[in-house]
Amino acid sequence: MSELTIERSFPHPPEHVFAFVTEPANLVKWWGPEGTSLREHALDLSRPGPWSSTLVNAEGGLHKMSGEVVAVDAPRSVEFTWGWHDDEDARGHESRVRFEVHPEGVDGSLFRLIHTGLPSDEIAENHVRGWTSALVSLERLLN
Amino acid sequence: MSYLPTTFAALGDATRFAIVERLLKDGELAAGELRTVGRLSAPAMSRHLKVLHEAGIVERRVDKQRRLYSVRPEAVRAIGAWTLSHRDFWQGSLERLGAAMGRESGKT
Repeated sequence: MSELTIERSFPHPPEHVFAFVTEPANLVKWWGPEGTSLREHALDLSRPGPWSSTLVNAEGGLHKMSGEVVAVDAPRSVEFTWGWHDDEDARGHESRVRFEVHPEGVDGSLFRLIHTGLPSDEIAENHVRGWTSALVSLERLLN
Repeated sequence: MSYLPTTFAALGDATRFAIVERLLKDGELAAGELRTVGRLSAPAMSRHLKVLHEAGIVERRVDKQRRLYSVRPEAVRAIGAWTLSHRDFWQGSLERLGAAMGRESGKT
Protein backbone atom coordinates (compact mmCIF):
# COMPACT_ATOMS: atom_id res chain seq x y z
CA MET A 1 0.00 0.00 0.00
CA SER A 2 1.16 3.51 -0.68
CA GLU A 3 -0.14 6.97 -0.04
CA LEU A 4 -0.22 10.35 -1.66
CA THR A 5 -0.16 13.76 0.04
CA ILE A 6 -0.66 17.03 -1.77
CA GLU A 7 -0.70 20.46 -0.11
CA ARG A 8 -1.85 23.79 -1.46
CA SER A 9 -1.99 27.22 0.16
CA PHE A 10 -5.00 29.33 -0.72
CA PRO A 11 -5.57 33.03 0.04
CA HIS A 12 -9.04 32.27 1.37
CA PRO A 13 -10.34 31.57 4.88
CA PRO A 14 -10.91 27.90 5.89
CA GLU A 15 -14.73 28.22 5.76
CA HIS A 16 -14.54 29.30 2.11
CA VAL A 17 -12.10 26.55 1.15
CA PHE A 18 -14.09 23.94 3.04
CA ALA A 19 -17.28 24.96 1.24
CA PHE A 20 -15.45 24.65 -2.08
CA VAL A 21 -14.17 21.15 -1.43
CA THR A 22 -17.39 19.70 0.01
CA GLU A 23 -20.51 21.35 -1.42
CA PRO A 24 -22.14 19.97 -4.60
CA ALA A 25 -22.45 23.31 -6.42
CA ASN A 26 -18.74 24.00 -5.83
CA LEU A 27 -17.34 20.52 -6.42
CA VAL A 28 -18.60 20.48 -10.00
CA LYS A 29 -16.45 23.55 -10.72
CA TRP A 30 -13.17 21.72 -10.25
CA TRP A 31 -13.68 17.94 -9.98
CA GLY A 32 -11.44 16.32 -12.59
CA PRO A 33 -8.27 17.53 -14.35
CA GLU A 34 -8.28 20.01 -17.23
CA GLY A 35 -9.43 18.26 -20.37
CA THR A 36 -11.99 16.06 -18.64
CA SER A 37 -15.67 16.81 -18.31
CA LEU A 38 -18.08 15.66 -15.68
CA ARG A 39 -21.01 13.43 -16.69
CA GLU A 40 -23.38 11.75 -14.24
CA HIS A 41 -22.49 12.63 -10.70
CA ALA A 42 -23.69 12.70 -7.13
CA LEU A 43 -20.99 14.83 -5.58
CA ASP A 44 -21.78 15.89 -2.05
CA LEU A 45 -18.96 15.59 0.46
CA SER A 46 -20.61 17.84 3.04
CA ARG A 47 -22.56 15.01 4.73
CA PRO A 48 -22.02 11.30 5.40
CA GLY A 49 -23.35 9.12 2.57
CA PRO A 50 -22.56 7.88 -0.92
CA TRP A 51 -20.94 9.87 -3.72
CA SER A 52 -20.11 9.05 -7.32
CA SER A 53 -18.91 10.70 -10.51
CA THR A 54 -18.13 9.87 -14.11
CA LEU A 55 -15.51 11.82 -16.05
CA VAL A 56 -14.96 11.79 -19.79
CA ASN A 57 -11.53 12.60 -21.17
CA ALA A 58 -10.72 14.29 -24.48
CA GLU A 59 -10.53 10.90 -26.23
CA GLY A 60 -13.99 9.95 -24.99
CA GLY A 61 -12.68 7.51 -22.38
CA LEU A 62 -14.85 7.14 -19.28
CA HIS A 63 -13.51 7.25 -15.73
CA LYS A 64 -16.06 6.37 -13.08
CA MET A 65 -15.37 6.47 -9.39
CA SER A 66 -17.50 6.25 -6.28
CA GLY A 67 -17.37 5.93 -2.52
CA GLU A 68 -18.89 6.89 0.76
CA VAL A 69 -18.36 9.98 2.90
CA VAL A 70 -17.53 8.58 6.31
CA ALA A 71 -16.65 11.59 8.49
CA VAL A 72 -17.29 15.32 8.24
CA ASP A 73 -15.86 17.85 10.68
CA ALA A 74 -16.66 21.25 9.15
CA PRO A 75 -14.71 23.37 8.40
CA ARG A 76 -11.67 21.28 9.26
CA SER A 77 -11.80 17.89 7.59
CA VAL A 78 -13.77 15.40 5.57
CA GLU A 79 -12.98 11.77 4.88
CA PHE A 80 -14.38 9.49 2.19
CA THR A 81 -13.70 6.15 0.53
CA TRP A 82 -12.70 5.97 -3.12
CA GLY A 83 -12.78 3.33 -5.85
CA TRP A 84 -12.44 3.40 -9.65
CA HIS A 85 -14.89 1.37 -11.71
CA ASP A 86 -13.71 -0.68 -14.68
CA ASP A 87 -15.32 -1.04 -18.11
CA GLU A 88 -17.86 -3.52 -16.77
CA ASP A 89 -18.73 -1.10 -13.94
CA ALA A 90 -17.14 -3.38 -11.34
CA ARG A 91 -15.74 -1.28 -8.52
CA GLY A 92 -12.05 -1.98 -7.99
CA HIS A 93 -9.65 -1.57 -5.10
CA GLU A 94 -10.92 0.74 -2.37
CA SER A 95 -8.76 3.53 -0.99
CA ARG A 96 -9.46 6.45 1.32
CA VAL A 97 -9.22 10.21 0.90
CA ARG A 98 -8.97 12.85 3.61
CA PHE A 99 -9.25 16.60 3.02
CA GLU A 100 -7.88 18.87 5.75
CA VAL A 101 -8.23 22.63 5.89
CA HIS A 102 -5.94 24.46 8.31
CA PRO A 103 -5.91 28.21 9.00
CA GLU A 104 -2.75 29.84 7.65
CA GLY A 105 -1.62 33.44 8.11
CA VAL A 106 -4.29 36.11 7.90
CA ASP A 107 -7.42 34.77 6.20
CA GLY A 108 -5.48 32.08 4.40
CA SER A 109 -5.72 28.29 4.43
CA LEU A 110 -3.50 25.33 3.98
CA PHE A 111 -5.35 22.58 2.17
CA ARG A 112 -3.97 19.07 2.58
CA LEU A 113 -5.14 16.07 0.63
CA ILE A 114 -4.14 12.63 1.86
CA HIS A 115 -5.00 9.63 -0.28
CA THR A 116 -4.16 6.41 1.56
CA GLY A 117 -4.42 2.71 0.82
CA LEU A 118 -3.46 3.08 -2.83
CA PRO A 119 -2.37 -0.06 -4.68
CA SER A 120 1.38 -0.50 -4.40
CA ASP A 121 1.68 -0.65 -8.20
CA GLU A 122 1.37 3.11 -8.21
CA ILE A 123 4.70 3.44 -6.44
CA ALA A 124 6.23 2.22 -9.67
CA GLU A 125 4.31 4.88 -11.51
CA ASN A 126 7.29 7.17 -12.02
CA HIS A 127 9.31 4.40 -13.58
CA VAL A 128 6.56 3.71 -16.01
CA ARG A 129 5.75 7.30 -16.77
CA GLY A 130 7.91 7.15 -19.88
CA TRP A 131 5.37 4.74 -21.21
CA THR A 132 2.61 7.26 -21.22
CA SER A 133 3.46 9.19 -24.37
CA ALA A 134 4.08 6.01 -26.30
CA LEU A 135 0.81 4.58 -25.10
CA VAL A 136 -1.10 7.72 -25.97
CA SER A 137 0.09 7.39 -29.54
CA LEU A 138 -0.87 3.73 -29.50
CA GLU A 139 -4.33 4.70 -28.43
CA ARG A 140 -4.55 7.37 -31.12
CA LEU A 141 -3.56 4.85 -33.75
CA LEU A 142 -6.30 2.53 -32.64
CA ASN A 143 -9.08 5.11 -32.74
CA MET B 1 -7.41 -3.48 -14.78
CA SER B 2 -5.68 -6.10 -12.66
CA TYR B 3 -3.79 -7.54 -15.60
CA LEU B 4 -2.05 -4.25 -16.46
CA PRO B 5 1.28 -5.31 -14.95
CA THR B 6 1.21 -8.27 -17.33
CA THR B 7 0.36 -5.94 -20.21
CA PHE B 8 3.31 -3.69 -19.44
CA ALA B 9 5.67 -6.61 -18.93
CA ALA B 10 4.71 -7.99 -22.34
CA LEU B 11 5.12 -4.58 -24.00
CA GLY B 12 8.42 -3.96 -22.24
CA ASP B 13 10.26 -5.71 -25.04
CA ALA B 14 11.15 -3.56 -28.04
CA THR B 15 10.29 -6.26 -30.57
CA ARG B 16 6.91 -6.99 -29.06
CA PHE B 17 6.19 -3.27 -28.80
CA ALA B 18 7.01 -2.93 -32.50
CA ILE B 19 4.73 -5.86 -33.33
CA VAL B 20 1.84 -4.22 -31.48
CA GLU B 21 2.48 -0.87 -33.17
CA ARG B 22 2.45 -2.58 -36.54
CA LEU B 23 -0.81 -4.36 -35.76
CA LEU B 24 -2.39 -1.12 -34.60
CA LYS B 25 -1.42 0.53 -37.86
CA ASP B 26 -2.27 -2.26 -40.27
CA GLY B 27 -5.08 -4.03 -38.44
CA GLU B 28 -5.09 -7.80 -38.78
CA LEU B 29 -1.94 -9.52 -40.05
CA ALA B 30 -0.67 -13.06 -40.44
CA ALA B 31 2.41 -14.11 -38.45
CA GLY B 32 4.40 -14.33 -41.69
CA GLU B 33 3.58 -10.73 -42.62
CA LEU B 34 4.73 -9.57 -39.19
CA ARG B 35 8.15 -11.11 -39.46
CA THR B 36 9.50 -8.09 -41.34
CA VAL B 37 9.07 -6.10 -38.10
CA GLY B 38 12.28 -7.32 -36.54
CA ARG B 39 13.59 -9.70 -39.23
CA LEU B 40 12.64 -12.53 -36.92
CA SER B 41 12.75 -16.23 -37.48
CA ALA B 42 9.40 -17.97 -37.53
CA PRO B 43 9.92 -19.62 -34.12
CA ALA B 44 11.03 -16.31 -32.56
CA MET B 45 7.98 -14.53 -33.96
CA SER B 46 5.68 -17.22 -32.71
CA ARG B 47 7.22 -16.96 -29.24
CA HIS B 48 6.61 -13.19 -29.15
CA LEU B 49 3.05 -13.59 -30.39
CA LYS B 50 2.43 -16.22 -27.75
CA VAL B 51 3.52 -13.82 -25.00
CA LEU B 52 1.31 -11.06 -26.42
CA HIS B 53 -1.62 -13.43 -26.70
CA GLU B 54 -1.24 -14.74 -23.17
CA ALA B 55 -1.07 -11.17 -21.86
CA GLY B 56 -4.40 -10.46 -23.55
CA ILE B 57 -2.93 -7.82 -25.87
CA VAL B 58 -3.50 -9.60 -29.16
CA GLU B 59 -6.15 -12.02 -30.31
CA ARG B 60 -5.86 -14.53 -33.12
CA ARG B 61 -8.16 -16.36 -35.47
CA VAL B 62 -7.52 -19.06 -38.00
CA ASP B 63 -8.39 -18.40 -41.63
CA LYS B 64 -7.76 -21.51 -43.73
CA GLN B 65 -4.04 -22.23 -43.24
CA ARG B 66 -3.22 -18.84 -41.78
CA ARG B 67 -3.23 -17.54 -38.23
CA LEU B 68 -4.28 -13.90 -38.19
CA TYR B 69 -3.37 -11.58 -35.33
CA SER B 70 -4.89 -8.29 -34.20
CA VAL B 71 -4.79 -6.03 -31.14
CA ARG B 72 -7.63 -6.39 -28.61
CA PRO B 73 -9.31 -2.98 -28.24
CA GLU B 74 -10.02 -3.77 -24.55
CA ALA B 75 -6.30 -3.97 -23.86
CA VAL B 76 -5.66 -0.51 -25.26
CA ARG B 77 -8.67 0.93 -23.44
CA ALA B 78 -7.42 -0.49 -20.15
CA ILE B 79 -4.07 1.22 -20.68
CA GLY B 80 -5.82 4.49 -21.48
CA ALA B 81 -7.91 4.34 -18.31
CA TRP B 82 -4.86 3.54 -16.22
CA THR B 83 -2.92 6.58 -17.41
CA LEU B 84 -5.23 8.81 -15.36
CA SER B 85 -3.50 8.07 -12.06
CA HIS B 86 -4.65 9.29 -8.67
CA ARG B 87 -1.86 11.85 -8.63
CA ASP B 88 -2.82 13.20 -12.04
CA PHE B 89 -6.44 13.35 -10.96
CA TRP B 90 -5.81 15.35 -7.80
CA GLN B 91 -3.12 17.66 -9.11
CA GLY B 92 -5.21 18.51 -12.16
CA SER B 93 -8.32 19.00 -10.06
CA LEU B 94 -6.62 21.19 -7.45
CA GLU B 95 -5.33 23.52 -10.14
CA ARG B 96 -8.91 24.06 -11.17
CA LEU B 97 -9.98 24.44 -7.53
CA GLY B 98 -7.51 27.29 -7.02
CA ALA B 99 -8.72 28.99 -10.17
CA ALA B 100 -12.40 28.53 -9.28
CA MET B 101 -11.96 30.00 -5.78
CA GLY B 102 -9.99 32.92 -7.20
CA ARG B 103 -12.80 33.76 -9.62
CA GLU B 104 -15.36 33.57 -6.83
CA SER B 105 -13.57 35.90 -4.44
CA GLY B 106 -12.98 38.38 -7.26
CA LYS B 107 -16.73 38.92 -7.34
CA THR B 108 -18.18 41.45 -4.95
